[in-house]
Amino acid sequence: MEKKKVKTKKTAGKRAKKKSTYGREVLEKFSSEHNRWEEGPLKERLCGEIKPQFKTYSGILPAETKTEFRTGSGEFIINRVYTPLDVADIDPLDDIGLPGQYPYTRGRDPVGFRAFRWPLSFYTGYGSSEDAHERYRALCAAGSTELSLAFDLPTQIGFDSDHPIAEGEVGKVGLALDTSADLQRVMEGLPLANLHIGTVGNCISPWVLAMFYTLGEANRLDPRQMRVWLQNDPFKEYTGRGTFIFSPQVALDLASDVVEYVCKYLPQWDPQYNCTTTMRWGGSTAAQEAGFGIANLICYIEAVQRKGIKPEDFVPRLNLHMTADNDLFEEVAKFRAVRRLWAKIARERFKTDDPRVIALRITVFTAAHKLTAQEPLNNLIRTTIQVLASILGGVENIHVPAYDEALALPTFESTRVANLTKHILNDECFVGSTVDPLGGSYYLESLTNQLEERARYWYDKVEAMGGAIAAIEKGFYLQEMSEGMYRYQKEVESGKRPVIGVNKFVLEKEVPIKIFKGNPEAERRQIERLNKVRLERDQVKVASALAKVRRVAEAKTAGREENIVPSILEAVRAHATVGEIFGLLREVFGEYRQPAIL
Amino acid sequence: MRRRIRVLIAKPGLDGHEAGAKVIARAFMEAGMEVIYTGLRQTPEMIVQTALQEGVDIIGLSILSGAHNELCSRILRLLSQKGLGNVAVIVGGIVPREDIPILQEMGVKGVFGPGANTESVVEFVRALVPTE
Repeated sequence: MEKKKVKTKKTAGKRAKKKSTYGREVLEKFSSEHNRWEEGPLKERLCGEIKPQFKTYSGILPAETKTEFRTGSGEFIINRVYTPLDVADIDPLDDIGLPGQYPYTRGRDPVGFRAFRWPLSFYTGYGSSEDAHERYRALCAAGSTELSLAFDLPTQIGFDSDHPIAEGEVGKVGLALDTSADLQRVMEGLPLANLHIGTVGNCISPWVLAMFYTLGEANRLDPRQMRVWLQNDPFKEYTGRGTFIFSPQVALDLASDVVEYVCKYLPQWDPQYNCTTTMRWGGSTAAQEAGFGIANLICYIEAVQRKGIKPEDFVPRLNLHMTADNDLFEEVAKFRAVRRLWAKIARERFKTDDPRVIALRITVFTAAHKLTAQEPLNNLIRTTIQVLASILGGVENIHVPAYDEALALPTFESTRVANLTKHILNDECFVGSTVDPLGGSYYLESLTNQLEERARYWYDKVEAMGGAIAAIEKGFYLQEMSEGMYRYQKEVESGKRPVIGVNKFVLEKEVPIKIFKGNPEAERRQIERLNKVRLERDQVKVASALAKVRRVAEAKTAGREENIVPSILEAVRAHATVGEIFGLLREVFGEYRQPAIL
Repeated sequence: MRRRIRVLIAKPGLDGHEAGAKVIARAFMEAGMEVIYTGLRQTPEMIVQTALQEGVDIIGLSILSGAHNELCSRILRLLSQKGLGNVAVIVGGIVPREDIPILQEMGVKGVFGPGANTESVVEFVRALVPTE
């Protein structure tokens, strides 16, 4: 790859080295024309004086609705109009360039969505294994080749379904899994060999890996041939979802074990999706999402590097899992900016020009937190724009929450329409037919620059305090999120920020909507089944497998490097329960207590 | 001088979505109330124990996991066992409409869903807790 000088603030100041899209003569001419426009037509329009040339309206011309227009996340002021003057500093080759070329502003793939064949995919799962099985069968029958399994909270935090703290939570936000037999029952008869399956289990990811691995074995399928994705991002649990178990340092170590194991033995698995969605949903701005996301990704990569694995051997398989909010242009700018910033930072940090390392892969889960419970059908409009932003931003994959998500777990119909959004936009509206269609837009290029600069500021701030783990432990992420969330809430309540159906055009009557109801019997049935497995399994085998897990965990606390995955795999094969495995790991590693930050 | 209302904001169960809990906690503080926030993953026993120790007037439970019926019923039962039957309980989070009467029947004073206005929750609490 051709060597290019990495642009820093210092070099940006040296105008002579940078090539602008427009020559000096054009800019000077435009500048004087712009001044004339501001002093003349614009000024007249703003003071409300109706000159003959404005007689398009009858009566008084309306004033602008706000004194200041800001982007959706509030960090940037939006100008009235953008011109060549706003992109005068931008080098069309070095800053924007071509798709698939450094700095990847326009995407990591030279052909973008022109080559994309979207699968039908769904994030779903609920109740006992029978309930979930029914839903998955229906989805597969309807053409889905990609399934994301949602686990209930006890499973995600490593508690068995009969643990006292699990009471009332079993099968509520996802499906309940205690032993490998549960997953087998869920997936029975599904076309496993053709399915791309995965899950968001994060702090339990070595166990999740083992569960899918043994699922393959039980179905005479070579796990190496399966296509599985693991979110394996424990950091997100400290900054949003709250299903953490161990300290961030221990969680990072276990997550790195999973990345190492997958990279060594499971060629078709995706070992990690570094997720920024929950930070954004919890109140972060777009630039914070990008900056914090890069800081987290760096931390994860360096942990795996310390195991002696080279970035080019695993970074190409990682994803930054972002969200797409409602401000179309800010989000497109964010995706372009985060790729460019990552390319610069990764190149410096890992001393490589390898495009597989410095070209960032982005997966999107659109903004569920912006979906309203009031008039839920309006959410279809919101998700459509969020998906549009993702396609225009050139991301690799898009997942969409269902429009009824603010009310309860989604129904089959709402899940299906969510998935079809991207297909309609791509197939019927042609929005993916050219790569980076907004590239070169005065506004978008200017905003992309601002976003990159601000994301760099947030990234530097995290690095200065010691990196991602310090930012988690010091409560920095949570504090920033909390501020943002409160600011947003106040803006909505004061009416400064209109949310249709919530504080503007509010409907007196509620719109009736079909809501999915969980199976109240799920908890009882799941516990019965768990007890049956506990009775019928080979107890000696279980005890010896669990003892091995404990030995590896203790070796880790003593500072010895040993991967925990093989021992957990053995325990899952022996039908040890999730609560037994994580119960003993809790004893060895201790549990994390999150500071209660307001 | 009016006595300040003491509020306990609690996250019962395993649900880790705390944005709503934090927003309402700050709104209560700005309204001049004293707020204690438990943080995540509290058992009903822990919540009632904190309520007892802190002598709160009101408990705000934030639940988004769907486990509201079980959790509220356990917490209300424990409160009355500990002689805290006079402590008002309100719930915020995702609660299907048909479950609201069930919670009210148990003794929950108010249920607030997504999009609820913090000002109106503050007013609701002020009306619930008589202060001189």
